[in-house]
Amino acid sequence: MFALTPQTRKKLRRFRQIKRGYYSFLILLGLSALLACGELLINSRALVVSYQGELYFPTYGDFHPGTDFGLDYDYETNYRDLQDRFDEADEGNWVLLPLVPYNPYENNAAGGVFRPQPPSAASQHYLGTDTTSRDILARLFYGTRIALLFALGFTLSVYLIGIAIGCAMGYFGGVFDLILQRVIEIWSNVPFLYMVIIIFSVIPSTVAVPTRIGILLLVMVLFSWTGMTYYMRTETYKEKARDYVAAARIIGASNTRIIFRHIMPNVLSTLITFMPFTVVAAISAITALDFLGFGLPVPTPSLGELLKQGTANLRTAPWIVISAFGTLVALLTLVTFIGEAIRESFDPKTFSVYR
Amino acid sequence: MKKTLYCLLFSLCVAGCGESSQEPTDIAASADGLAGVTAEVEAYYAANPDFFSFKTPADLPADLVWENNNHLPEIGSPDAVKGGTQNAALQDFPRTLRTVGPDSNGGFRTYLLDDTGMTMAHVHPETRDLYPGLAESWAIDEAARTVYVKLDPAARFSDGEPVTADDYLFMFWFYRSPYIMAPWYNNFYSTTYTNITRYDDHTISITTRELKPDLDERVLLLRPIPQHFYTDMGDDFSERYQWEFEPTPGAYIIRPEDVRKGRSIALTRNKDWWAKDKKYWRYRFNPDRIQFTVIRDDAKTFEAFKRGDIDQFGLGLAEYWYEKLPDSDPDIQAGYIHKVMYYNQRPRPNFGLWINTAQPLLSDREIRLGINYATNWELVIEKFFRGDNTRMNTGQEGFGDFTHPTITARTFDISKAQAHFAAAGFTERGADGILVNDQGQRLAFTLSTGYESLRDVLTILREEAAKAGLDLRIEVLDGTVGWKKVQEKQHDIFFTAFGVFLELYPRFWEHYHSDNAYDRAFLDDGSVNPERKLKTQTNNLESFAILEMDQLIERYRRSNDRDDMIQLAHRMTELHHEHASFVPGFYQGFFRIGHWRWLRYPEGFSHKHAQGPGETFVHWIDTDMKAETEAARRDGTRFDPFIRVYDQWAE
Repeated sequence: MFALTPQTRKKLRRFRQIKRGYYSFLILLGLSALLACGELLINSRALVVSYQGELYFPTYGDFHPGTDFGLDYDYETNYRDLQDRFDEADEGNWVLLPLVPYNPYENNAAGGVFRPQPPSAASQHYLGTDTTSRDILARLFYGTRIALLFALGFTLSVYLIGIAIGCAMGYFGGVFDLILQRVIEIWSNVPFLYMVIIIFSVIPSTVAVPTRIGILLLVMVLFSWTGMTYYMRTETYKEKARDYVAAARIIGASNTRIIFRHIMPNVLSTLITFMPFTVVAAISAITALDFLGFGLPVPTPSLGELLKQGTANLRTAPWIVISAFGTLVALLTLVTFIGEAIRESFDPKTFSVYR
Repeated sequence: MKKTLYCLLFSLCVAGCGESSQEPTDIAASADGLAGVTAEVEAYYAANPDFFSFKTPADLPADLVWENNNHLPEIGSPDAVKGGTQNAALQDFPRTLRTVGPDSNGGFRTYLLDDTGMTMAHVHPETRDLYPGLAESWAIDEAARTVYVKLDPAARFSDGEPVTADDYLFMFWFYRSPYIMAPWYNNFYSTTYTNITRYDDHTISITTRELKPDLDERVLLLRPIPQHFYTDMGDDFSERYQWEFEPTPGAYIIRPEDVRKGRSIALTRNKDWWAKDKKYWRYRFNPDRIQFTVIRDDAKTFEAFKRGDIDQFGLGLAEYWYEKLPDSDPDIQAGYIHKVMYYNQRPRPNFGLWINTAQPLLSDREIRLGINYATNWELVIEKFFRGDNTRMNTGQEGFGDFTHPTITARTFDISKAQAHFAAAGFTERGADGILVNDQGQRLAFTLSTGYESLRDVLTILREEAAKAGLDLRIEVLDGTVGWKKVQEKQHDIFFTAFGVFLELYPRFWEHYHSDNAYDRAFLDDGSVNPERKLKTQTNNLESFAILEMDQLIERYRRSNDRDDMIQLAHRMTELHHEHASFVPGFYQGFFRIGHWRWLRYPEGFSHKHAQGPGETFVHWIDTDMKAETEAARRDGTRFDPFIRVYDQWAE
């Protein structure tokens, strides 16, 4: 069903012509690729260790205790120290560290006390450190990755529920539509923030961090799918009256088949148009929740947490807020540009201008 | 932020004390409760003749030695000038102006009662002796566990009514009344005292149940409740008096027109205050008005302070003292803002990790010992607090002789921690470096806290504990939610502290008695009751239940011999240390502030037992200096920088 029809090809061509959106898309694609293999770029674990003629690749997989490399401790090796040690000993062992040799959790106080350090290439803290001397670049990087994944998960779930229910409402109409509309109206008036606060106060803390993030996602989806249904409902109402739907029905196609195989492709443009803006909404929401302290559990790296730190240290550590704010603006701008371009290229009125 | 912390500590403590909600002795709860309560009060006095006695001055024992401690040093400076407005910030608007009942334990209570109210006598901030407040003199009869008091006939409430013996009798009725909805007060005032006798309008005696070394303080720190104000008591007490300011014998009143809910509130100096010329009181409570504005965000409060909108700011956290207001700051260097650090000596809030021994795994002492060795407080103190704070060694720090002299906290030691974890069966490290036992169980616990401002401490502990193979999952909760969690005993490990008052000896019953851990923890033969259930809503956060401790606590409570109590306290501290259910954290042996130069303190002022600079209200606002400073800021005139550390009380 998603085979490229001439129409789709035309839309894609048009999308490519809108340079701003197209380049934004390419940049975001590149960024996602970088984020996907982030462990190779920003990590406290070394890429390669050559010790006594043997090669180790610690990035992925189990941790290597210090004893593996002739150190006197059995917790995770500090590869930065290891590198210094190998260099000093000069016995042919070597360590290849990632570009930024810090992970987002470790407190690495260069000056002896935990406090924000300004950006410095010498210490490889390219964006400085936060209030407990954690590397800001690492926290931003992994924070962005979590935010993007979160946004992706959010968008997919919201679409799944929104489309299914919206289409059903439009297609079946009548009492079903009437009742569900009322239910949605009531549901969408439940204050979302309070629900997040309440739900998080009763979740037992024994729940692991990824599960907690999952629950947060679930709560947000539960309160966000309603918006989508309105558009799908009206679109489906419109399409339902068309002849091809009547034809399909006469042939004996089932309701599910009609909705998902016949009506859906025809309302796809509406869907895709909204997608980037849903992503923007998700990123903003997770950032805002973190800023308020109800988002991702501590010490998960997050944009909102960095923003909060930044605003509390505006005078003494402006680099925190600059990095966090800059990243957020860049990310949201990229996605918004893509969204505009998609909207324009999927618009049947070719010559309308949205600039 | 420090202020918030203290407020929180305070509310924690007071809220936390209400563990046993025994019904007060039979009070006939009136059906409608709205008619005047006088009849009800009288009936209550008559129904409890053992407690409320009425005698004549002739009945006073003849051999009483009346004292009034008029020889103590004055408090404050004769240079202090009355007048001016002090500007301050509140993080939250007070939820009520009541001083008792629901929501009344907030931080603003300090300004309603604790620091501004008056009791019969007060503890001198330098000598720890009692100096007279509402009492003219007092006499102590230790054998009878009784304190006799002559109230000052001049004493007046702020509405002009005299303070009399009746207000003290009424106080007992009031605090025992179910209307106030305060179980802790109900219990305390029903069990601690056994009698109050009225001799005449200004003479009373109060008897305590047990003779304690601090008998005088137990009685003389009681405050009067104005009977003429609480005429209509009933089930609607908490709503009826929600925004009513109780007449006070103290210097500051709150006028209804100054209560702008959610935004600001102001204290106004009572110019006809009865004690304004009394020794110990005359140089204090100087500003005419203390204006509190609600600013919810600490960072904003600090900016307001830097602008001069707020006169003083607590610089307790290292980031403020060293980074945000460093000695090199232009306002400091120009002498506009003064930076002062005061060392003090007083019981310390017991910051540390409270391990719930009722949880699986944590019931194993080896694991708890391992946790003790796996928490790197030294690093927190050195790198986060920049060496300013001090490691606590026990849960009872700052009580002088009562604090154990030799026990030291276990220091961070990975190999010792691992040895203890290994003894508990955790020998192998998993793929992520966390220890696992042969059943595949990870050595992971939740470390919760209600202190948002101290979350960084926990993240540091977590990183360090991982080196020893211990996974601490951090959970930063809202203060109230966190408190609820520990009160329900749902926590694994909780990071908190209880506020400690300036008391002579530490309390053990609240935290370590099995009565507060389980319903019937032990059987009659002393063995552990297999069917015991966790007891919630108590301050025994460690679910600490050891029979020997119970016996010691009971002896300690009954003891009236100081040396004996010290021995017992030491033994109990040792037991607690051996049990390893508490990881002592840190304490701050000082407080430090920044203030604009027009807010003045007496020369060389540093009270030994003070908790904060404003506690005794010895400061004053120099309005001329304020005008001068503001002019100087405009035209760039500079003064001498003023950065001082008063370390005469450093420990």
